[in-house]
Formats: sequence, C-alpha cells, structure tokens
Amino acid sequence: MTFRRFLIKRTAIAAILTLVAVSVIFATLRMLPSDPFSGLVASGALTPSQVEELRALYGLDEPIWVQYLKYIQNLFTFQFGLSLTQQRPVSEIIGPALLNTMVLLLPALITTAIVSSLAGMYAGWNRGSWFEQFSIITTTFFRATPIFVTGIFLLIIFSYGLGWFPAFGMRSSMANPEGLAATYLSVDFLKHYILPFTATVLFYSGDFLMLARNSVVERKGSEFLKLHRAKGLSEMEQLGRAGRNSLLPLVTYFALRTGMLFQGVITLEVVFAWPGIGRALVQAILNQDYPTVQAAVFIMALAVIVMNLTADIAYARLDPTVEAGDV
Amino acid sequence: MSLLEVNDLKIKYRTSEEDVHAVNDVSFSIGEQDNYGLVGESGCGKSTIAKTILGMLDDNGEIAAGSVKFKHRELADLSESEWQDIRWEEISYIPQSAMDSLDPVMTVGAQIRQAIHKHRDTTKAEADERVAEVFEIVGLDPARTSDYPHEFSGGMRQRVTIAMALVLDPDLIIADEPTTGLDVIVQDKIIDKLLEIQDEVDSSMLLITHDVGVVAETCDEVSVLYGGKVMEQGATYDVFMHPTNPYTMGLQNAFPVVDEFDEQAISIPGSLPELTEEPTGCVFRNRCPFATEECEDGHPPLTANGGQLSACYHTDKADEMREAAAEPETWGLEGGDDRETSHEPGDVILETDGLEKWFKQTQSFIDDMRGAEPDYVKAVNGVDLTVRQGEILGVAGESGCGKSTLGEVIAALQPRTGGDIYIDGTSVDDLLAESTKKFRSQVQFIFQDPFDSLNPRQRVKAAVAEPLKIQGYDQETINRRVRETVSDVGLNPPEKYLDQLPAQLSGGERQRVAIAQALVLQPKLLICDEPASMLDVSLKANILNILREMADKRDIGIVYISHDLASLTQIANRLAVMYLGRVVEIGDTRDVVQNPRHPYAASLLAASPQTDPSVNRQRVLLPGEPPNPVNLPGGCNFAPRCPKASEECRQAEPKRSAFEDGGHEAACYFPVEDVETELLAQYARNRGQAKVQSAKEESIEESVEGE
Ligand SMILES: Nc1ncnc2c1ncn2[C@@H]1O[C@H](COP(=O)(O)OP(=O)(O)O)[C@@H](O)[C@H]1O
Ligand code: SF4
Ligand code: SF4
Ligand SMILES: [Mg+2]
Repeated sequence: MTFRRFLIKRTAIAAILTLVAVSVIFATLRMLPSDPFSGLVASGALTPSQVEELRALYGLDEPIWVQYLKYIQNLFTFQFGLSLTQQRPVSEIIGPALLNTMVLLLPALITTAIVSSLAGMYAGWNRGSWFEQFSIITTTFFRATPIFVTGIFLLIIFSYGLGWFPAFGMRSSMANPEGLAATYLSVDFLKHYILPFTATVLFYSGDFLMLARNSVVERKGSEFLKLHRAKGLSEMEQLGRAGRNSLLPLVTYFALRTGMLFQGVITLEVVFAWPGIGRALVQAILNQDYPTVQAAVFIMALAVIVMNLTADIAYARLDPTVEAGDV
Repeated sequence: MSLLEVNDLKIKYRTSEEDVHAVNDVSFSIGEQDNYGLVGESGCGKSTIAKTILGMLDDNGEIAAGSVKFKHRELADLSESEWQDIRWEEISYIPQSAMDSLDPVMTVGAQIRQAIHKHRDTTKAEADERVAEVFEIVGLDPARTSDYPHEFSGGMRQRVTIAMALVLDPDLIIADEPTTGLDVIVQDKIIDKLLEIQDEVDSSMLLITHDVGVVAETCDEVSVLYGGKVMEQGATYDVFMHPTNPYTMGLQNAFPVVDEFDEQAISIPGSLPELTEEPTGCVFRNRCPFATEECEDGHPPLTANGGQLSACYHTDKADEMREAAAEPETWGLEGGDDRETSHEPGDVILETDGLEKWFKQTQSFIDDMRGAEPDYVKAVNGVDLTVRQGEILGVAGESGCGKSTLGEVIAALQPRTGGDIYIDGTSVDDLLAESTKKFRSQVQFIFQDPFDSLNPRQRVKAAVAEPLKIQGYDQETINRRVRETVSDVGLNPPEKYLDQLPAQLSGGERQRVAIAQALVLQPKLLICDEPASMLDVSLKANILNILREMADKRDIGIVYISHDLASLTQIANRLAVMYLGRVVEIGDTRDVVQNPRHPYAASLLAASPQTDPSVNRQRVLLPGEPPNPVNLPGGCNFAPRCPKASEECRQAEPKRSAFEDGGHEAACYFPVEDVETELLAQYARNRGQAKVQSAKEESIEESVEGE
C-alpha cells in the first residue's frame, strides 16, 4: 500500500472516531435528568416562560436530531456557541485556557521525552551501571507517585519552605500583561512556571526512560549492531544506531502521550491553580454549562485522535517496513 | 608469508557457575589469498575464534593464553580504538544471519557507505560509486542501493553483506556460516560468488561452517574442530579424502549426501563434552568408537600423518578405522541391511486430490467495496499425493514453495481452500465431524523447532502422557505406553529421562521427546515439518533413523517435509518436489534422484554440495528466485527461469503426468535427459553472456568518458 493511501485511510478512520466521540458526549449530556435552566426555575429566579425563551435562544427546544446535527456542524467548524452561565462565547473561555495548558504541558513533555529518552538509551547501553539503577529507581518513583502529590511536595519545599517560587496561579496578582509576549515571556511567568513544569517532567520521565532503556537493551545483542561494530564504528556511533532503531516505539509513545496530555491535567491544574483547560472543564461541569463542557471534551477527544493519527504516520515514516506491509 | 597466525589460543568464558573453556590450544595459519576453513558442529568454538580475530569476544570471554598475529602484529592486546581502525579496513566479516544482520532502518547503500566513510576520507559521490561497484561484483542491481533491507530476499541480503565485506578491499574476510539457512540453489550461487570473488580480489578468506560439503567444495585448507580442539588439520583434499581422525570420519559419514540411498544414516552417539574444565583426555573419547584406555591420558597432540595433522593416539590404524567408520554398526547402530527387502508399503493411508490452499491478499477498502476480485497467494495449488502404510513420502522444495502449508493443511491445522483429503479412505471432513479427538489421534504433526515445541515446565513423562490423557486412557495404560514410546525413540533407559525437564535435555533429545509425543497415540499418519533441520549432523541422522524405524515397525505413513534433499534421499521411499505450490516431480526416490526429469527438480538436486573433495561438481546458476506465487502467468510456472522453455510451455500448463514412467511423473513437456548439458552448462552460458553484456556496456561507457 502506498503511503498516500495509508494516510487517506487513517485520516478517514480518525474522522469517524472523532464523530463517534462527540456523539457520545452529546448523548451523555442530553441524558442527564435536568438542564441548568430547570434549576433556575426551581429556585424561582426565572419564570417558566422566560426559560422557554432562553431554551429557544440556545436551540434546546428543537427536536433532538436537529440539535444533534447543528451540534455536529458547529463542533466541526469550531463554533462552540455561547456559554450558558458566563454570557460570552465558549471559544473565549476555552481558547486561552487551552493555550495556558499547552504552554505548560507541551514543553514539559518534549523536554522529558528528549532528556529521559537519551538518559534511558545511555542507561540501556551501560547495563548494570550505577547510572542505570539510579535513573530507573528515581524515575519509577516519580511515575508511581500521583502528579498532584509530587506537586504538593514541590510546593511545600520550594514555595512554602524555601520561598523560592510562588505557590499559586500563572502570574502574580499585580501583573496585568497585555499580549502574548508579555504574558508568557516574563520573569514573573517563569517563576510560576517552574514548579508545575518540573512536576510534569518528573512524572512522565519514567515512561520514556524505561521505554528507551528497554529498546536499547533489546537491540544491544542484535546481529546488526555486531556488524556495525565489526565495521569499526565507535561506541557512541553504535549507541547512535541502537538509538535510531529504538526511535520507533519512543516517537509512537510520545505521540500517544501527547494525545493523552489532558489526562493528568485536572489535578495538576487544581494543585497549582493553573488557569488551563482542566480547571475550565471542572468549573463548567459544576455549573452545568453544556456548550463549554462539550467544547472542552471535544478538544480533548480531538487531541487523542489527532495524536494517534500522528503516531501512525510517524510510525510509517520511521519504519521502512510499514509502508510495504498491509497497514 | 602468512597473513594470520593463531598460536596455542585458549579462550575462556566466565559464567556464574563454572568457566567454559571454549577454545583450547588452537593453532592455524592463513596465507595470503588463501581460503581457509574451520569446520565443526555447534559449540565447537568456531564462532569464538572468529570473534577473537575481530576483537569482538563477548564481554565475559577472555584470551587465557596464546597469540593471534595478523601481519606480524599481535592482536590480543590492542585497545578498542586500535581495533576500530583494523576492523573492516583490514579484516571484514560476513555474518551468519543476513536476515537480521542489516540495520533495518538504514538503506543498504548507506550501511555500506558508512563503512567507507568510517575509514576513508571520501566524498559521498565517490563512496556511492564504490558501492555501485561492489553491488555489481556480487551480482546485485546497483540501482537498488537506496532500498531498505526488508525489500530484499534472504539470498540477496547475504549478497549485500558480502558486498559490504568487499568494499574496502580488506586483507582478510571472515565468513561465519555465510550460507546456513539459505536454500540450496541460493547457497550454490553464493558459494560460486565467493569463489569468483576469491579469484578476482586478493583477500584471504576464513570460512566457518558446520557444513562439510561447503568446506570441501570451497577451501584449500581446513581445521576440523571438536570441543574447542583441533582434531584434524591440513589440505582439504587430504582431510576429506583420507581422514585420519575418527571425528572427521564420523562427521563426514554423518553428513548426508544426495545420491546415497537407503544407507542407514550414521550418527555419532552421545553428546558434546562439557567444556567446564580443560580436557584431561581426548575430547572425543566419550563418543569415539575407537577409544582405548590410552585415550584417557590427556588430549592427543596433533601429529603429522600423511599430508595432514591429526589429534589421535591411533592414527597408525587410520585405514582400518576409516573402513570401520563407514559401517553404521561401528557407531552403535543396528544394521539396516535387511530393511529394504523386508518391507513392502501397505494400503493407502493418505490421499489428497487436487488439494488447494489459497491465501487472500489484503486489498484496499475501496477495491473491496467495488467488489474487485482479490489476489490470491496460491500456496498449495492442486496437489495430488498418496502415502501408504510404512511409507515415507519426502516433500522437497525451497522456502516459500508451499511445503509447510501443505503439511499443515493435511493435518487440518489450517482449513483448505479446495480439493479433498482422505485418511484411510474417509474424507477428513467426515472424520472431523465425527470426532476431532479421534482425528488428532490418527494424524500427528511434528514441528521444526525442538526448543519451542515443548512446554519448559513439563517433565518428559507429563509431556508424553498428555495426548493420552486427552484421549482419556487409564493411568496404567498411560504409564506403559509412555515408557514404551520413550524407549522406542531411543531415550534409553526411559527412567533416566522421564523426570527431566526440557532444559536438561540436548536439542536432539528434545526433538526425540517431541517425536515420542506424536507417536504415543499410535497414529496412522505422521507429518514432519523439518524435524531435524535445527540439529547438528551427528544428531540429525539419529532422528532420521528413528522415523525410518517407526515407519517400518509400526506401519505408519510419514510425510517428511524438508528443504534438505540429502536427508530426504536417505529416508524417503518416494520423493515429491514442489515449486510454487505445485508438485512438479514425484516418483521413487531413486528414480527422481538419479534421473530427475523436471528442470527445476534436476537443478535442485544438482545444487547439493558434495562432501567428497574429488568430485568436481558443476554449480547450479539457476537465474532469479522463485517469484511470489500471486497472479502467475499462464503456462508452465517455471518457464521464466527454465533454459528449455519454448512457446509451447508458455501456452498451457503441463500436467503432472506430462512425463510418465511407471510411478515417476514430471510436469514438463520437455523432460531433461542430461542435466549437465541441458541445464548447468546452459545456466553458466547465460550468465556468461549477461556478464559479457555488462562488460561491453562498461567499456563503451569508458570510451565515452575517455573522449
Ligand atoms: N558468552 C558466552 N558465555 C559462556 N559461554 C559461551 C559464550 N559464548 C559461547 N560460549 C560457549 O563456548 C562454546 C563455543 O561456542 P561457539 O564459539 O559459539 O561455537 P560454534 O560457533 O562452533 O557453534 C560453547 O560451549 C558455548 O556454549
Ligand atoms: S585419541 Fe582415542 S578417543 Fe580420541 S579420537 Fe583417537 S581413538 Fe578416539
Ligand atoms: S514445461 Fe517447458 S518451461 Fe516448464 S519446465 Fe518443462 S521445459 Fe521448462
Ligand atoms: Mg557459531
């Protein structure tokens, strides 16, 4: 199968999966016994006729399949509508929150992927060394500890104890930056950034380290490395080839991990009071703010699916045999 | 002047229990432009020596004594960076398993270029040019240098590694089992290539192999190794013409040769010595039929005897020993002379009629939707066979010809696509419908790998009893039958083996347990897929003998599937040769081997190496490799490679009975009369032409460049 055909097939599958995911969200939310407005009626804040008007405004009075079609159409054109509780477009709530999350998680993930993988490869190559044992023990420890626990400890030590870093939020309450550059490129931001960043890096380091180590260990006795050695390659060059051959599982895992980026994000953002998408989702659920919940979940689902697709493509690109095989 | 001198080399491996003395006082030397052979069975230390010469001993290995001098320079105390300069520049290496010796994520061209850049200061263009050159030398298309390893077949990958070994014009090339695992025809072409290269470039070669035939045909000088010791050393011709050492004799006689029929295969009893201490007596003494008390007094020194050196106290009686060694009785085997006469095959036990197994190729979703007819791999394509009681039918063919699929389909391990199978006159479908259990008790299967086929936690007793338990026999019968069968397959006394775990058994013993497992239900039909191909020659013969005996004694019909023609001719009553899913020739083994009529069968038979160094065999340079059996063109499948093909062959496919003489059939319109002139000479000529052609093109190019 050619790479093009492979790509088309995978993209189609990804699109279908996304559709299924958002349909499930739709169904789940509609199956909840109440909507936010009935709550308002019960508390006497609105009259039933006012509620009818509101429902019409949000399209909630239409037949369910019309709602569904509109919902799908809107999601896939990234029109998330108005928030039910905050009187502003959902995209205005979700957009900045998403950006904040990305700014925190992506660099952390990339850093840990690169650093831990390299360390893992080195550890695998020098099997039985103290470096190997030490690195495995530490990273496994952080992997086993929930991210918010690590977070709390970091806060206790470096923020409350040593007072090096602020404990709360993304910027100090004084700062009121304008524009992206001023928001994300200030010393103040960096101070707030370091602890949650460190917690994330530590949390994910174990996976990459073990994966890299194991694949290098697996390759180490291989015939092709023997031949590389016989050709006169130096130790580091051989490790380089072993590393290149281990790249496949690593990149795949990186892509999958990025897709599941939002998994641990809720507790992390709550502990550090980071104004990201996780916190936004929690608030929206508490407020029964359908459109915001739908949008947040859609984006998270989309991330998983898109990154799975990326993983597939990376796989095909990195492994010359995939293209020929029946994918 | 000698290029490489190995003197009194001792190599030890440290392990958690005891040290392994893998190589003990080995000396030999290789001159310039020499082909030197190291031959011996697995574990004799061949690879250890090779790795030492490359400075690549495993981490737990060390040179305990002795020296390795290359161009008068001691290699034993080089540092790793000094080694890095010598490797490939002066000593290169052709690995055994070309299948996984190439970096899977690097194009083959890049892998070869890497070797050039590592040692020479060249531009990429110059390196590319050199890569193309060596590709040409080994007979690969230079346009394919940017392909990845998986895009090549096994034989072609081995050519890539040979090209790589040549690229820097090293002084010494070490080839560790370069043809093991390749099909005979491919092996023959690779050997031909190696010899041709040997003529053209002036590297020396150290060829390491367990295959007596390959050494006998390629090397000028040879050392026969056993248990880390040199047993015999000298000119290949002398060593294999007049062996003076009992081990050499055993090895050579155990090695099956295609045109030796019905001779009971010779196997060396016992197993390899433990190498946990330095030998205190002759290393071969516990398996040697000529051992005397004297043989306990330390390993015998290598002494000159005729043209060669031999390590044996009794070399003065070499002639007598040689004569005795040809008799199976000498090696503790019962005489097999009365076998052929005593036996007439009985009733037909297996019959297949137009048996087919097609595998659907995966196709795109859209083609599926359009209802396009998918492509099929016709792995088994209209096969008619019969097997009688007490008869062994050999099925031969190269990898991919469909022989394993055929075996699995007959054993109902895979569903068939078409045709019929009858066991004892009843259709397999009826048997299976009646009772799967019963069918399984009548038809048994033995797999290739003795290491995978046994459960590592199950003792021999439990393993052999399991099929009986499943069939619901009572405990007493089970015990009796298990003991009988274990003893029948030559594990005697049974008590010694019943409570052992697979890990405590040698490879040969494990395979015998697997056979016992298959035989314990007293099946009518036994299907063996390469049951001995993982075993050393001295043990292989043993398995063959057991199967032969079972067929004779218990009247079992056996289908023996193998790519190893020599083993097949020893054991099979009738032989079927497969090509691309079809049986192209079938008949009594003797008829097929002595008078093959189908050009493919004839080529396959002619490609088996000979252990007799006085035979000058012409190589089989059959062009190409078997194509993938998808969408084959009409007409004879072999036509694209057949030197005798004519228009008629491409028109319609020949029936299997196109040639018929008694039970001997061949699917060919123009049956072969004389293999040498009609085929081998023809192949050589065609290839010569192809070469002249490319040489011409080259000279034209050169003259163009010259202007
Ligand atoms: N790394 C190792 N550690 C311990 N024993 C080894 C090691 N490599 C090989 N051996 C042992 O050394 C002996 C010779 O092995 P090898 O040179 O591979 O033989 P061959 O290539 O002739 O099959 C065998 O007994 C084998 O089990
Ligand atoms: S020395 Fe003795 S045991 Fe060794 S090969 Fe000669 S006869 Fe056999
Ligand atoms: S039928 Fe023709 S092409 Fe086929 S094997 Fe015979 S001679 Fe060759
Ligand atoms: Mg070996």
